[in-house]
Amino acid sequence: MGSFAEGAAPEAECISFMKLAVEQAKLALDSLEVPVGCVIAEDQNVISVGRNRTTETRNATRHAEMEAIDVLLDQWKKKGISKEEIASRFSKCTLYVTCEPCIMCAAALSIIGLKEVYYGCANDKFGGCGSILSLHTSNSGKLPSGGTSERKGFKCTGGIMATEAIDLLKSFYEQGNPNAPKPHRTVVPRV
Amino acid sequence: MMGSADGKTVGPSDCWEIIHIPEKPPICPDHQPTVDVLASAIDAKHANTIVRKLNHIAPLEGLRHVKRIKKTFLDGGKSQLFAILCMDPGSNAESNYIPEDVLGLMNTYQLSTFTTKVCKYAATTKEEWEEQCKLWPTSFHPPTFNIDGITGFSEADSLSVLKFMKLAVHMAKSGASLVNAAVIVDPISGETIASSCDEVLYPGALTKGSSKEPCCSKDHERTIQGDANEMEKDLISNETKQSYMEVSCLHPWGWLEQRLHFYLDSWHPLRHAAIVAIETSAARDRHLFPMSTRGADSVQEDQKVLTPTGSPLKRQKVKNDEISDCNMNGSRYDPTRPYLCTGYDIYFVWEPCAMCSMAIVHQRIRRVFYAFPNPNDGALGSVHRLQGERSLNHHYAVFRVMLPKEILH
Repeated sequence: MGSFAEGAAPEAECISFMKLAVEQAKLALDSLEVPVGCVIAEDQNVISVGRNRTTETRNATRHAEMEAIDVLLDQWKKKGISKEEIASRFSKCTLYVTCEPCIMCAAALSIIGLKEVYYGCANDKFGGCGSILSLHTSNSGKLPSGGTSERKGFKCTGGIMATEAIDLLKSFYEQGNPNAPKPHRTVVPRV
Repeated sequence: MMGSADGKTVGPSDCWEIIHIPEKPPICPDHQPTVDVLASAIDAKHANTIVRKLNHIAPLEGLRHVKRIKKTFLDGGKSQLFAILCMDPGSNAESNYIPEDVLGLMNTYQLSTFTTKVCKYAATTKEEWEEQCKLWPTSFHPPTFNIDGITGFSEADSLSVLKFMKLAVHMAKSGASLVNAAVIVDPISGETIASSCDEVLYPGALTKGSSKEPCCSKDHERTIQGDANEMEKDLISNETKQSYMEVSCLHPWGWLEQRLHFYLDSWHPLRHAAIVAIETSAARDRHLFPMSTRGADSVQEDQKVLTPTGSPLKRQKVKNDEISDCNMNGSRYDPTRPYLCTGYDIYFVWEPCAMCSMAIVHQRIRRVFYAFPNPNDGALGSVHRLQGERSLNHHYAVFRVMLPKEILH
């Protein structure tokens, strides 16, 4: 996993996409969702956006990445694009997400064969791109013993606008997770 | 083939069992770490006194699993007792001397010491324990968690587990080819919350003989079935190449190569059985407990209305004032509503892949049962072991239900 060292400026283009991902995270926060957002770009164009919708759907797997992938699949299938062509387009797409993809999303990104991922803050509880597991490396674990398609890796770079991503998460947990069964700590009224 | 018509569990019942898959991979039993201790032969008639004194003057902190006394049988039916006096001062940085009280005891009973090895950590499996006792006897307590089943299942629980596993197997076999199936169950009420098959290549509702199936000729069907039987032989002979190609968790990257059967638009590379089952259970939850923005009074009204739905109420008891607290926060919390899949079990035919294993962490599944391991991408012990990743915010207990391979025929 690469990471932008302090002092080294990430490319402006990368920042501009991450700003859009942060916008999505803010939308999530406004909807009382864990504020994580993402965009998917193809040829420098944003072709899909997603934000966390776990509370609204009561489906804890509806992370921003899964939402954005489903938007794309729907679009492409409606246009009648073939499965092979869809796979080929996924392999040219870059994901910008405010928080390191969790183990589930990292596995999903590998399954669809995304080209590259840029993320904001690391996810030291669930991260699947280096923090807990390293599912972005093609040699994580055994290779499939059957079939022709092999485990796919993707390039992954963290630390893009990490402060903004963390600040959003902090403001969410300060206001308390409305979806949690019981407040874990004193709930501070939102200012 | 499973469970006869009169309701008795026969046939496979003598060849299935439920095995707990622990958080850590078992250590090779004969490679367990050891530490050196100072021991001595002791006279049996002083054994009680000596052990009592030793426990007082030199308790074996950190080696509580190690027994103080070892009995060795000698030729001629006689036996000799040995006792651990203290940690070996020669190999222990923390106490590099023999405690004075121990020296006194050695003088009193004329003990001549020797250094010996004992296992450093308590055994986590029976196999480890048996190996430990070859060095020096230890005690063994099977791991206990607050999850039912880890220390064994009652007969009724076992039968219930088998029943739901059979349902999963039945579903996995019900389509044109073998796929994975996931069944989410509320073990308290015995209710099936959601049951789904892989929907990577086609919707799960599309089953063999289904009227929705537009163009499945008998020939085509037979070909697929024939392939599946061949695949099984391969698996049994440990050649997993090309086997069970449409079981999504076994071949997560296989979606591209798979031939699309029907419904050109309905394929989805991520719709593994667990993902679909979670979606179904979430939809059920939204249906049974519709979202509301009403105040605390109507929340309690809801409670009355919703109680008869048969949903177990003991999961979360929240006092009324806590409900008000939550409402202050601008949201509503219904204490009768289960939080995601808290308390629920999930049954898989094949061990779930990394994506599905993490999905069921997120959805707060309590126990996971699977029948067959997944050497390609299994994340419950085969390739990864999520139940042992302590950083995750939720942990489930994992069990393998040993079933005969023939059940897939």
